[in-house]
Amino acid sequence: MKTLSWWDAFRARRWLQDCTSVGTDPYLIGKPTINVDGEMHIGKCFSLASRPVASHLTAGQGAILRIGDHVSIGSGAGIAAFQHVSIGNDTQIGAFVVIMDTNFHGAPGDQSVQHDCQPVQIGNGCRIGSRVTITRGAVIGDGAEILAGSVVSSVIPPGACAAGAKARIIGRAGDLASRWDSAAASLPELLMNSLNLSSPPDLDASRIPIDRWTDASVRDLLDALSARFGVALDRISIDQSRTFAEIAAAVEQALPERSPRP
Amino acid sequence: MSQKNASPLMSRLQAAPAWIRSRLGAYIWLRHCDQIGANTRTFWRPNVENHGRIMIGARVRLNSHWAPIELASGPHGVIDIADGVYINYGSIISAHERVRIGANVMIGNYCIVADTEVPAIVDRPDGPSISARPIEIGDGAWLATRVTVLPGSKIGAGAVIAAGSVVSGDIPPGMVAGGIPARVLRAV
Repeated sequence: MKTLSWWDAFRARRWLQDCTSVGTDPYLIGKPTINVDGEMHIGKCFSLASRPVASHLTAGQGAILRIGDHVSIGSGAGIAAFQHVSIGNDTQIGAFVVIMDTNFHGAPGDQSVQHDCQPVQIGNGCRIGSRVTITRGAVIGDGAEILAGSVVSSVIPPGACAAGAKARIIGRAGDLASRWDSAAASLPELLMNSLNLSSPPDLDASRIPIDRWTDASVRDLLDALSARFGVALDRISIDQSRTFAEIAAAVEQALPERSPRP
Repeated sequence: MSQKNASPLMSRLQAAPAWIRSRLGAYIWLRHCDQIGANTRTFWRPNVENHGRIMIGARVRLNSHWAPIELASGPHGVIDIADGVYINYGSIISAHERVRIGANVMIGNYCIVADTEVPAIVDRPDGPSISARPIEIGDGAWLATRVTVLPGSKIGAGAVIAAGSVVSGDIPPGMVAGGIPARVLRAV
């Protein structure tokens, strides 16, 4: 591991001089844009890339942007607080990520914009992929993982893995092997086809429409499940499900332990 | 004389300064790479952060015209770019373990090919633990604009990835894939 040269350390200090507080050893690759009208607190061992595209951190008037210890952020990130944004310790954030607690923000110094804010809270030890958009009111629990390209505007529980626009929970964080291919990711499409629904059902919320639950459609569904996931579910276990979530849980349970990708 | 009506010889002469600039640029701006092949050219200045090993083959073209390309390798990272690769502007190639790009691959603008979650942050003393999984892109593959290649992905030879896709896992050779996450759409 390379230690920071005095020149890197000096430049990082100078570029972060507007911040309210900065911990030890900030490490900046390239020059970011920092606008502080409110408060910006940055923890120790902060890493931020601004190459090839500059990142920007903004704290509006009276706003608080709080970044914990050992946080690293990729290039092209835009983080804007107009009320409150907090990022926990040991969180890793990818490139081209946008985190804002407002729907909209004007140019720096533009006072005419009326902000409609809800605080954003990101927990400790989260991993946030590239090109993720985190909008106002999002709360991401400790250790959660957001896969690349997602849009988060809701509450993600601790330790969950979420993906998609808008982000849905597709598994547990840290399950590396074929997370996108977990049952929850392709079940909606499969259910739609076998039950002749007009649109893919929302696994979290909706109940199974009883009129679609016929002998033929259930047989279709079991065939499709065995073709897609290689699981042989019996009619009795699936007949007791009342919601789509219960079917998803049954499929997840029947799946063989996945081996990690070589 | 206008460019349109120029003879082939004349147009070659007119292109000579740009050609010389791009050849010299490769020597100057890629000087931190461990290995550069013959006839490799850079258009404007790419950023190279080499803490491991970066190997670039012959006839590679790196375009950094509107936004620079970032090549970053961590202490044990290896970036291996084969012959005839074209990388367009604003792309990030980052390796903590290994990123291999096959011969004649085309990579569009603003792509991210990184074997870790956070690209381009390569040496953080006492930082959080980093889990890297190697990436391999087969010969002749084509990544369109704004493609994100997640850690541990493998793209087969001759595959085409549609714009804006997120690649996770294996894409078989000779297939068109797209979407978030990228799924096979049809054969090329």
